[in-house]
Amino acid sequence: MALSGLEIYKLLPKTNCRECGFSTCLAFAMQLAKKAVALDKCPFLTEESKKILEELNLPAIKLITIGKNDQRVQIGNENVLFRHEERFYNPPGIGIIINDDLAQTEVLNIIRKIKDLEFERIGQRLKIELLAIRNRSSEENFLKTIDLVVHNTSFALVLMCEEPRRVKKVLELYKDLRPLIYRITPDNFLQFSQLLKGDNVPVVVWSEDLEGISYLTQQLNRNQINELVLEVSNKSPAFALWQLTQIRRLSLKKKERSLGYPVLVLIENQDKDLSLLFTVSYIAKYAGIILLDTFSPEDIFGILTLRQNIYTDPQKPLQIEPKLYSIGSVNTYSPVLVTTNFSLTYYTVLGEVEASRVPSYILSVNTEGMSVLTAWAAEKFTPESIIEAIEKSELKKFVNHNRIIIPGYVAMMSGDLQEKSGWQVIVGPREAAGIPRFLRDL
Amino acid sequence: MIKEYIENWSGEVNTLVIGATPEEGGSRRFSVKIGGERTLPFLFKEALLPFKPVIAYEIWDIEPIDWATALSKYYGDVWGNTLEWADKLIREYKAELLCLKLAGAHPEIGKDLDEIVKLLEGLLKKVDIPLIIIGCGDVQRDNFILPLCSQILKNERCLIGEVNQDNYKTLTAAVLADGHSIIAQSPIDINIAKQLNILISDMGLPLERIVINPTVGALGYGLEYTYSIMERLRLAALNNDRVVASPFICFVGQESWRVKEATTPEKEFSRWGSEWRRGYLWELITAGALLQAGANILVMRHPKAIEKIKEYIDKLYEFKIN
Amino acid sequence: MEKFKVTFYPDHKTVEIQKGQSILSAALAAGIYINSNCGGEGICGRCKIILRKGEVFTQPSGRLSWEERKHNYYLACLTTVQSDLEVEVPEESRLSFEKLAVEEIALRFKGFYEKPESIETTQSILDEVFVHSPLATKLYIELPPPNLNDRVSDLERLYREIRKRHEIPIIQTCLTNIRSLGHLLRNSDWKVTVTLGKRDGVVEIVLVEPNNTSLHNYGFAFDIGTTTICGELIDLNNKKILGARAIYNKQTVFGPDVITRIIYGSQADGLEKLHHAVVDGMNEIIQELIQEEKIDLNNVTCVLCAGNPTMIHLLLKIEPTYLRREPYIPVANFIPTIRASETGIKINPRGLLFCLPGVSSYLGGDIVAGVLSCGMYKEEGICLLIDIGTNGEIVLGNRDFLVGCSASAGPAFEGSGVNYGMRASGGAIQKVKILPNADKVEFSTIGNIPARGICGSGYIDILAQMLMTGVIDRSGKIRWEDHPRIKQRELEKEFIIAFKEETNLDSDIVITETDIENLKRAKAAIFAATSVLVKHMNLDLKQIEKVFIAGGFGSYLNIQNAKLIGLLPDLEERRFIFVGNSSLIGASYVLLSHQAMQRAEELAHKITYFELSVDHSYMEEYMAALFFPHTDISRFPNLKGMI
Repeated sequence: MALSGLEIYKLLPKTNCRECGFSTCLAFAMQLAKKAVALDKCPFLTEESKKILEELNLPAIKLITIGKNDQRVQIGNENVLFRHEERFYNPPGIGIIINDDLAQTEVLNIIRKIKDLEFERIGQRLKIELLAIRNRSSEENFLKTIDLVVHNTSFALVLMCEEPRRVKKVLELYKDLRPLIYRITPDNFLQFSQLLKGDNVPVVVWSEDLEGISYLTQQLNRNQINELVLEVSNKSPAFALWQLTQIRRLSLKKKERSLGYPVLVLIENQDKDLSLLFTVSYIAKYAGIILLDTFSPEDIFGILTLRQNIYTDPQKPLQIEPKLYSIGSVNTYSPVLVTTNFSLTYYTVLGEVEASRVPSYILSVNTEGMSVLTAWAAEKFTPESIIEAIEKSELKKFVNHNRIIIPGYVAMMSGDLQEKSGWQVIVGPREAAGIPRFLRDL
Repeated sequence: MIKEYIENWSGEVNTLVIGATPEEGGSRRFSVKIGGERTLPFLFKEALLPFKPVIAYEIWDIEPIDWATALSKYYGDVWGNTLEWADKLIREYKAELLCLKLAGAHPEIGKDLDEIVKLLEGLLKKVDIPLIIIGCGDVQRDNFILPLCSQILKNERCLIGEVNQDNYKTLTAAVLADGHSIIAQSPIDINIAKQLNILISDMGLPLERIVINPTVGALGYGLEYTYSIMERLRLAALNNDRVVASPFICFVGQESWRVKEATTPEKEFSRWGSEWRRGYLWELITAGALLQAGANILVMRHPKAIEKIKEYIDKLYEFKIN
Repeated sequence: MEKFKVTFYPDHKTVEIQKGQSILSAALAAGIYINSNCGGEGICGRCKIILRKGEVFTQPSGRLSWEERKHNYYLACLTTVQSDLEVEVPEESRLSFEKLAVEEIALRFKGFYEKPESIETTQSILDEVFVHSPLATKLYIELPPPNLNDRVSDLERLYREIRKRHEIPIIQTCLTNIRSLGHLLRNSDWKVTVTLGKRDGVVEIVLVEPNNTSLHNYGFAFDIGTTTICGELIDLNNKKILGARAIYNKQTVFGPDVITRIIYGSQADGLEKLHHAVVDGMNEIIQELIQEEKIDLNNVTCVLCAGNPTMIHLLLKIEPTYLRREPYIPVANFIPTIRASETGIKINPRGLLFCLPGVSSYLGGDIVAGVLSCGMYKEEGICLLIDIGTNGEIVLGNRDFLVGCSASAGPAFEGSGVNYGMRASGGAIQKVKILPNADKVEFSTIGNIPARGICGSGYIDILAQMLMTGVIDRSGKIRWEDHPRIKQRELEKEFIIAFKEETNLDSDIVITETDIENLKRAKAAIFAATSVLVKHMNLDLKQIEKVFIAGGFGSYLNIQNAKLIGLLPDLEERRFIFVGNSSLIGASYVLLSHQAMQRAEELAHKITYFELSVDHSYMEEYMAALFFPHTDISRFPNLKGMI
């Protein structure tokens, strides 16, 4: 259980000395509760308090790193069951499976296509981050395919082979790349736990049920094999959802350490569209890695977009795209109302403009999602930002008058804005409710 | 020993029926039941999930000229005639639920009232599956047209909408009198959704006859907001907040076919792949994600996407039987 | 640009102003403060003036009756100057004085201060007794004249005699006093009155006067609110309140809230104007009260101010810009003692000005004073202080911790920004009962005189009663259509509280849907801030043992109704304690006691400020609270079935 700010406060010196940079011990405690500040900022903490607080900071789901440097994938370290409670932090790594029984040219062909799977959405680059090489033929082919992939790409790797000796051999060559080893099962775990001892590479653990998984992880922990990823099977998707939910619930709510790892799901050999829908479910519900056997761009584009959506921080305010919106059948004489890009503000204004039945333009200014007064107070809604929006939207092309209407709450800036922008500034009503009357009287 | 973590939810989602059979005073061949969930989506091992989510085909009273070619190639031939359109969906695509949008009633199109009345009367005769009726979106016009529709469809137990905080009174009164259920629309806002349900039920319409439209953002266009609002409303319902224990209707088709990712030709963005598959997937993924958040009715457009999402739901529900 | 002369009557003040400027700004330039609650938007209709002569250009407004228009009434904010003008400003359009409601004074100084005789008090809520040691004390001393055996210097002689009476190790005095000392002592036959004041830990001789004036030592305590300034004149010797006044803060014409004023203050001349507006207001109160009590201004030796940080910055003419810029840092929270005259406050020219220390940019000395006066910092159980004012500050805690925030509620409950709103003063509708079907509306006014408007407590009653009788739905919209008390205006409905005959006005007193919306927002901001604070400390509202309610309501506040509208949490009635203007009370405490000042300083250090604007749950809570009583009725379990 996480401690509240008040409970943490009781463990602090309560001297309000301000060494930590906060004005009171309570303020510091509240930040500690949110994990927004490091414990060592307080120089006067007793050893005992320190121990209690440090323990609380251990993540319930272990953070696992696969790959090296800027190509690495980090998964786990999640705090909640539902994104609205806080946020989902580390998006599931999406990987594509390449079998080692393919011809070299075919592998190269696939690699080339996979490299093309890069999309840009709202300023973020969306791409897959894992390649999984699956051993289906000889050891030699496995090594050759890995070599080919390593030399032609920089993706983080999943190496799929359940034969411990073969894995050991591969690791001798590629351990530095920190690949994810797939996988330990009840059948091979004894050998694996001997072989991987001290290697400190991440490895997937699979068993039929949670009991089995928990047993394996505990055994592996005893051999200092701690970098684990659990696997649940996609055989029955509803059961997979159940297991994913159980693992997340047990690790967060029961602090079940033996299940406190990210989870991998392998999706293959099915109807392509159903596979996609299952992937959708697992992105929504707790998967840490999803391995696919498709690389068609439409599918990957959709999946990556969904992942981006689900892993956005819900605590950031709802924003709409800052631009010029036309409401009703506007013409070049239609009035232009300026507002922020906080969606709530925008929709309120929109509703009232619609209600007025006066065709109008709404110019939404980028205020980083702040409402009129907040944005104004924080200097995000200023003559400068409004002028920028006017220019960017090419407002001049849409109207042949030079009047803009600003919210009554920012009447103060009208003179300044008029001077700097060259537009005639009309001060509108303070409350959106006054818009219909205002527009009709205009 | 690992003991499964079972939540003992104290509430359940209201069960709502669309369509009345002759025995029930209507003329529908069957009725569709939704809601009744006692746990989160697809957690069959935890508690009862009595009814599968359903898909409603979206049809219009006028030809939807701006619908994508990816759709028209399946059934564009019948778009000019609403009755034939409905008929084709039922015969060829096995539609079990229709959602008729009275787009033509909008003042800008200005379809005659008589025509709308005639259409509804014709539809009642021609089509024997349950119906959802949606207005044109113009508040004043809807306030005028929809109560009339409600009257024509009296006793057929339709789902009629939509109402929001400012115009709920007229339609609520009509729906209450004619035995239908209502769609309460709120702008991706948990509080407004709640407030609207309270205002409607304060007028005497039982909470059991309200379906919430939480307002859908398509994949890449605010989907996550809808997702979380639905998840939160559903959690509240399962924690016995009766006010929000309403099933959800999600207008997936309308939203996903509007975005550029669904329709932009491949030649403009070669990396995005073929627009045929892309549009289809955009609707499919939006639908799939909303199912995870607890959607009960998905209003969709692409026949193949509808077929596939049904198959997906069936696949998940296999687990229930086992 | 053409310039014209505008003369205001009956003041006979003339200003020259550019063509096209509003009459409102002309009045301001002439130093005439006209009511304009809406900030010059043509909404509130309070800035009516009568045009005697000249040409103007005006915009149409629904706030003027046909009758008024016929008699040349105009709204000063919507009317611009087009020629030389003669303008009459009627009394009702001026920002004016109000005596504090008697009931408000009644709540003060239990156990510490002797209450005015005529007032009955029922509760004893303020049990703290601070030692009586005013921030400025007078000492009458008859010095032994020097002789050849006692050759100590004049100043040391004075120190010596002071020390015989008080244990003061270090005494300071300034050169001005020393310069005049030689003549003064001898001319007054070595009989003088010394005023001592504490300046940051050191005792200073503020003033030396001939003869014995020690029986006359007065001070002023001020609560400088965003919307209202309250001041009281206190006899520092016997701890008696001699009089109190409230006045709308004249800064309101520059904007209704602190942010607008900070922005105005950042412009050229802005700070100067805001500074003058507040000092003018304070001086008016001082003048009015000393005249009434026939007190010599020279015997007023100190002023103590409690105010939010913006108000204190503006009072002291300190640059306010950085208060509203991230990361929101005040120039100073702890203001050293200064001479009142340095700010333009007119008392004894050497008199002192003290400001109560603040906590952060948006939590000021007024709230510290509130915490001090309600005594929550000594309580074992969890307490809540809710100050229902423009900024809507809330403090949660007990003797172990204190955490506070500011909710920017807006001035609706102070009677500003609502059509017939007014402060709790004579003629304000303060208690209302609406009978079933709204057949009848019973109300009482402060002072039992014909109604002039509605004060905060009246609005709380009205909303609650409208809800219970079903006049409005839970979102605040008027539900009924045909009813003699309901009028359909252009875009909204209004409900008549008092018919014209029952008022002192030319019109009915109504509440409009917009008023309801504004009140709803104010209550939502306060309730949401309370919820967030309580949740943030992992507490439950039920755990709160005492809720202190502060605000300018008069003494009357119907707790049940305040719960019904969702302003206050749903707790048993006995847990609520109404403390009136706790800021002014705390300020009086401090004025009368060094010990209280010391405690206030400790509290300012101890209270933790919580910034609502960076907390993501606040907006959510606010939206949930925009409903009567709340979207989530399970938060008000005892009200189920009442609405």
